[in-house]
Amino acid sequence: MSASRLPGADARPVVAFSFEGQRVEARAGDTVAMALWAAGQPALRASSRDGAPRGVLCNMGICYECLVVVDGDTVRGCMQVVREGMDVRRGGKP
Amino acid sequence: MSGERIVDADVGVLGAGPGGMAAAKALAAAGLCVVVLDEGHRAGGQIFRQLPPGAPHAAIAEPPSHAHGHALIDGFGASKVELRSGASVWDAKPGRLWFEQDGASWLLRCKHIVLAPGAYDRCIPFPGWTLPGVLTAGALQVMVRGFGVVPGKRALVVGSGPLLLPTVTALASAGVEVVAALEASSRWRALRALPGVLGNGARLREALWYGRKLLTAGVKLQWGWTVFGVEGDGRVQRATIGKVDADGRPRRETARTIEVDVVGAGFGLVPSIEAGLLLGCASRLLPARGGHCLVVDAEQRTSVAGVYAVGEACGIGGAEVAMAEGELAAAAIVRLARGAPIAAGIARKAARERKAADALLRAFAPLPGLHELAQPETIVCRCEDVTLARAKAAAALHGGSHRAIKIGCRAGMGPCQARICGPSLQALACGRPELPMDLPVAQTPLKAVRSETILNAPEG
Repeated sequence: MSASRLPGADARPVVAFSFEGQRVEARAGDTVAMALWAAGQPALRASSRDGAPRGVLCNMGICYECLVVVDGDTVRGCMQVVREGMDVRRGGKP
Repeated sequence: MSGERIVDADVGVLGAGPGGMAAAKALAAAGLCVVVLDEGHRAGGQIFRQLPPGAPHAAIAEPPSHAHGHALIDGFGASKVELRSGASVWDAKPGRLWFEQDGASWLLRCKHIVLAPGAYDRCIPFPGWTLPGVLTAGALQVMVRGFGVVPGKRALVVGSGPLLLPTVTALASAGVEVVAALEASSRWRALRALPGVLGNGARLREALWYGRKLLTAGVKLQWGWTVFGVEGDGRVQRATIGKVDADGRPRRETARTIEVDVVGAGFGLVPSIEAGLLLGCASRLLPARGGHCLVVDAEQRTSVAGVYAVGEACGIGGAEVAMAEGELAAAAIVRLARGAPIAAGIARKAARERKAADALLRAFAPLPGLHELAQPETIVCRCEDVTLARAKAAAALHGGSHRAIKIGCRAGMGPCQARICGPSLQALACGRPELPMDLPVAQTPLKAVRSETILNAPEG
């Protein structure tokens, strides 16, 4: 995980959540999309037509390409800040 | 039940970027009660992104102008302004802004509204642009400067306009190898920006700073080049790049393939005018300023009484323009509320900054030939998975207006509300790249919010 973060001491607490059943360690203040990117998981939803993987496009809440399901709610991965223990699944049709 | 979720203020400001912060700070200094609604997590907007507290503040190179941004963020934070972060505004009427925050439905009642919603990246579809790992130029900057996350190992940066430079420097300072940085405009066309740069000391210093950074990083901007397509198994692995002609048309015979794992595409910015349109504000098409822009008078007043607009919503111009116009809008409101006259320097500064930005940006107006990058099977509307071939068929059958294309093939009807495909959809579907986009239809909800938010919306 450290290889995909800027170097230097990170004073933020670790926040752990689950993505498709796998444990992911993030840092407080991360969004779901950025935590998953840093964890090597750029594919966040499946396209509605052919199931092709989609990921973050705009990273500012405009495009809705990074939709994920957090504890049953469909949200934008780039706007949702990580919470300890949250259950994150890939999104489907936007 | 939701009746308590009403906030009252003298002024409601939409957006905590440079324009919104400057306006809010000046209004609060004059003793007015100001509430700022912003969808982000911290003040600063997209341009002055701040890392979360405690994150490693490794040496992210920042241009000289960002010092103004930090000073403004500090001044804004120390002011009496109430900032509501994570607030998605989904409906608006003069004096009323409805928003969702932390899953709850809120209403802000105010005498004046200042619109400072900023802009978003203009997307131009090309084969493979839906692969994870293709992001907008803005997205990559947010990743590095806002979250301290490294985008990849080998990056390709493509697009057109001044924003390619901060994208390259953000990547380089995060240790990413920028394999190629491709500006679609020709060097000769870009020379038209020179008077705008040379005539403004701050912009000249900025340009020189970026020039030095690119030199240090060993990145050479290639003029008249762009991306023809991207490939990979589930994520970006390769990109085909090549030269374009003076109008941006791909010269296929020049194509070559490079190995990259991330692509940043920034073909300029599009003004965010949806809230203004919903409020009934007049707009006009200004291609060199990014498309449809809100019309304002010399004191940032829109055509709707009590509604002001500043910065990118009035046409792309950058942070300095936004800050100056924010202060001007605030001065106009303070005069109404307190009778204090507008200091002459404030209006002059806003006009001067806008003029300098126009001089720079007219050299990077969108190149129509770039719409030929998309192939028949390329998806143009990402929300509804509409290919170029389907959009063209719909345009042929139903007519070439934005609305007819939408109804004919659902392109632009997904949750992004055509913010991504809209700016190029008509040109693409009609095969007429010179075609300006029809005025987009702004509708409630402006952002996809929970149905409970709409059902429980406070009245008042």
